[in-house]
Order: sequence, then structure tokens, then C-alpha cells
Amino acid sequence: MNKTININLSGIIFHLDEDAYNLFKSYLTEVKNALESQEGREEIILDIEARIAELFALRLEQSRHEVITIDDVNFICDTLGAPNDFKEEEESNKTHQKETKSKKRLFRNPDEKVIGGVSSGIGAYFGVSMIWIRVIFLLLLFTTGIGFLSYVILWAAIPQAKTTAQKLQMKGEPVNLSNIEKSVKEELNGVKERFGEFRIESKGNSKSFLHFLERVANFILQVFERVIKFIFNFFNIILIIFASILAFVLFMILFGIIGGAWNVGSLNFVSINGNLLGLNVAEAILGKGIDLTLIRIGALLVLLFPLLGLITIIAKALGKTLTKGKLFNVIGGISFFIGLAFVLYAGGQVANSFKVGATEVRKIKLSGDVFDIRTDLLEYNKGFLFEIDDQNLRIDNVSLQIKKSKDSTARLIMKHKARGKNNSDARQRAQVFDYPFEQNGGYLILSECFSVPKEALYRGQELKLTLHLPVGNEIFLDPSIENLIFDIENVHNIWYGNMVGHTWRMSQKGLVCLDCEEIEYFNESEMEDTKEIQLKIKDLESEIKRLKNE
Amino acid sequence: MKIDNTKAQMRKGILEYCILGILESSDAYASDIIETLKKAKLIVVEGTLYPLLTRLKNAGLLEYRWEESSSGPPRKYYSLSKSGKTFLKELELTWEELQTAVKIITNTPK
Repeated sequence: MNKTININLSGIIFHLDEDAYNLFKSYLTEVKNALESQEGREEIILDIEARIAELFALRLEQSRHEVITIDDVNFICDTLGAPNDFKEEEESNKTHQKETKSKKRLFRNPDEKVIGGVSSGIGAYFGVSMIWIRVIFLLLLFTTGIGFLSYVILWAAIPQAKTTAQKLQMKGEPVNLSNIEKSVKEELNGVKERFGEFRIESKGNSKSFLHFLERVANFILQVFERVIKFIFNFFNIILIIFASILAFVLFMILFGIIGGAWNVGSLNFVSINGNLLGLNVAEAILGKGIDLTLIRIGALLVLLFPLLGLITIIAKALGKTLTKGKLFNVIGGISFFIGLAFVLYAGGQVANSFKVGATEVRKIKLSGDVFDIRTDLLEYNKGFLFEIDDQNLRIDNVSLQIKKSKDSTARLIMKHKARGKNNSDARQRAQVFDYPFEQNGGYLILSECFSVPKEALYRGQELKLTLHLPVGNEIFLDPSIENLIFDIENVHNIWYGNMVGHTWRMSQKGLVCLDCEEIEYFNESEMEDTKEIQLKIKDLESEIKRLKNE
Repeated sequence: MKIDNTKAQMRKGILEYCILGILESSDAYASDIIETLKKAKLIVVEGTLYPLLTRLKNAGLLEYRWEESSSGPPRKYYSLSKSGKTFLKELELTWEELQTAVKIITNTPK
């Protein structure tokens, strides 16, 4: 016994076996999909349905049966042809159109892989050489580490292409905006159609509640699947946007290299007062020698390749194919690696010149007491860590410490550290520095930066100042020195930022504050102690008054 | 380059001409056109034809009217329109030219 389903084709009713119905339905759906972009699609489908009805009627007459079986449906499929045959016409119409390819899906490529096949999969997806993708991953890895993270995530998220069909899908129809739009429309239509079918079916087949539930579940699953696909299409657009942004940034960096700046880290492309900050950094570290040139050329070569790659991807996404041959890829790849070698070599040279450290100590006796310490507050064009002029490199890596002097003299001790290729190189560099400061009566006026000759280059120079004060010396810490001090010991354990703006006295135990308001600065237990003491003092004072009055 | 592809391209090019040619002598149902084309082995499956017929009709080369059928649903009865006739004349000319051209080229002794 077989269940039959009634259908209406061109106004004629046919009884179909259940399996015949299922086959026929999926065949018709595929034909409809194949005709998706065809003009006059509705009419063509009506014509086809009419023809099928005609053929069905003929078959029934010949076989003297009442019911259409799966054989009849197969006959229809053979006579009318596979769904793709319906599409043929459209192509002769537009001969320049590409071969019909199945819709693309993102897979990892197991045939061409270094680690997980992510790059070659993405490359196939966008129809660009996987080299581009690998270069971008490498670049992201070296610069920020995002490369590693995103690779791992993509590795986990993207399925591997296992079957031949999946591998074909991997290289299927190129992803471009019009295709994305098309597939989004298809998904929406699909949802609508399913919804329509669902309504009809649930009306007709309300036999059992269980059956109904099953249909609801199926329906929800399908809607869910479609929503996921829909989101995935938006993901495509996001990828394109991301690629555009990346291309823009790369372009800006390239622009900077050509214009003079290469400092990627702090993105100093902008010229201030005609002074390219990035160039300063490069010049201060590399000098004007061969290394600077090497790094510039290297960076140019390294960045040019992925930039061109991104432009190709974006062009593809917008539906324009940029012709580029294998030679282009080979040359691009070679230039990338040569550039990388340049950068790595120059980078290695620089790293090498930071190998050994040395310290130079200068002790300066200060005449008389120092009762005020401040900085010159000179406005200077503060770049990243240092600024450069015709002769000098000014470095603002200065710190100040205040300690107790062993005798009755105040001293300023400077420890200048520098690094170099070897001991003598580092020592030489440590010896040359100039720190401008001034003692004017009791005022000690410090500077926020020290300078070294430009030729000495930046090699991690830093200056540590220690002011040794004799016991009993009172000193006012001007707020202007806040940038210099980091952690100055004092008997109250006050945070250094709160030490400025107050007067201190050097005692045997260390610095004592003379005008601090305890509530603001003392930590809690000490605060309690002081309060108690103050209360006692008040008591004593009132006691004294009372006694005096008496 | 696939030979099947080229064959299909060649066949497709003259398919329109043949359809118009069939309709020149007498009006016909879609199924009649299909039968004739199938006999001549110009098409293998019917699916190919429906989009083509619709396109020719939309281009104004074909007209149709509905005719009742004894065995099935009403059928479209296609005929050539006025512009279809002039179109066919031009195609005939082109076909003659092509035939001669191909003959000259393939028959020229080397």
C-alpha cells in the first residue's frame, strides 16, 4: 500500500506516489533555482509545468494507470534534462559570462597546506593566490601577534574540505558583491517559500499533534540554517571592509616610508612643524648610515606585496579581475623576502648594538644648602622619548632620587647608562652626555632631559640623578619635578606624587614632611596615631590654659 | 578548451534560426517544435528550449495563442510575428553567407 499525494499542474490533478512526489518536488525546485536569474522566469516555469502535465497525461494514458510513479518522474527528468540544461540558454546570451560553477564555501585546503590549510582555503575562496594570504598572516604575526590568534580561530572554525564535492565548492563561484547579493536574495526567498509551504502543509496535515510538532521543529531548523547562511554572507562583506581598511593602513605606511617616516609602531606619519617624527626615531636609532636605507627599502618591499594583494582582493570582491600572471606572483614573493631579509638584517644590527651596558658616574658638590628644587620648565618639542636637532639628541629618560648625605655636604650624583656593541663602545657612549642644571643660591634648577651628540645615536641612554642632602637640610619640592621623581623614600611612606608642593627636612631616618596635612597623605594606621596625638596635644593645651588662668 | 563546449556553442547559435525556420512553414505547439528539433538531433533534452522560446516571444519575434488540448492542459500555439519574419530573412542570408564561407575555407586545397 502506498500513500498518494495530489498535485495540480496547469489545472490538471495528478496523483503521485509519495516517493515520486518527493523526487518531483525536488526536481522542480532545482529547475526553479537554475532559472533564478532568467528573465521571464515565472512564465518559463508555467510552460515547463504545462509540458510536464502533458507528458504525465500521455504516460497515464499509455500505461492505463491512475497514479504517477517514480518511473514517470524519472522519464520527465530524462526528457526535460537536468536542471542545469535549463540554464544553457542564458549563457549563449551572455557569452562573456564565466562557466557555471557551484556556489562557493570556505574550506581548509588539505592538499596545499603548511600548517592547517587555512591560507590556501581563504585564497581559494577569494580567488587569489594563497601566497598573499600567507604574507598577510605572517605580517600580522610579526607586527602584533593577531596573526597567530586569528589563524588558530580560523583553523578551528573552518571545516576541512574532505570530499571531492567540497573541494570543488572550495574553488567554486568567485565571491563578489553581486553574487553575495544574489545568495542573500536566494536565502530570503527560501525562507519565504518554506514559510508558505509550512502554512499549507500544517493546514492540510493536522492529523496528529506529533506530526505537527515534527514539522515545526523542521521548520525552525531550516530557518536557523538560513539565518546562519545569511549572516555568513554579511561576514563576507565585513571581510571586504576589513581588507579595505588594512589596505588603507598599508598604503599610509608606504606613503610614510616614501615621505621619510617608517615608524609603524607609533604611527607617526604626520609631520609636525615640517619635522617627521617617525624619521627622528629612525634616525636617532639607525643614524644616517646604510642601516636606515636598508630598513626603508626593506619595509617598502615587504609592505608593497601585501598591499597589492589586498588591492587584488578588493578588486575581486567588487567584481573586477585584475590580470596578474604567475611572474607577478613570483616577483612579488621574491621582493617580499628580500625586503624581509633587509629588515631582519638591519634589525639584527640594531639589536646587536644594544648588547652591552655601561655606566658613567659623575659627582658634583653643591655649595651650601639647597632649599628649593625645581625644573627649568623649558618648553621643548617633545617627541617619542627624544627629540633631535642638528647636533644633539635630547633624551628625556631622567629620574631623580633624594637620599641622606653621609657628611654635611649636599651632592648631586649622576649615573649615566648607555648600551653598545661591546664594552668599550658602551663605555665611550656612557661618557659623552651633557646634563644642564643650575644652582642659583639655594635653588637647584634641573632639566627634564639630557643631550648626547647626534652621532652617538640612541642606545638606551638613561640618566639617574641622586640628590644627597645632609641631615637638617630643609627643601621644598616644586611640583615641576613630578615628572622626574619616581619613588622617593620618606618616613611617612607618602606616595611620591603627593610629595611635591611640600617642604621636607632630611632627618637621620630620612625625609620628614613639615607641612603635609595628615588626612590627605598618611596611611590609615598612622592617621589614627596622629589624630590621637593631636587630641592629646589639644587636651594638654587646654590644660595649660586652665592652669594659666588659675 | 573543451570540445563539448564548442559543439554546444555552435549548436546554440543556430538554434534560434531553426526555431524560426520551423514556424515559417506553419504555426506549431511547443511540443511540435521540440519533436522536430529532437528528430534533427539539434537538442537532446527539452529543458533547453523553454527559456529560449520565452525569450524569442519577449523579443517580439514570436506570438502565441492558447489552444485547447484533448489529452492535457491548454497549449501554447506559436507563430511568427511580423518582425520575426524579417528577422528570419536576415538570418537566412547570414546562414547562406556562413555556409559559403565555411565551404570555401574547408574545400580549398592546401
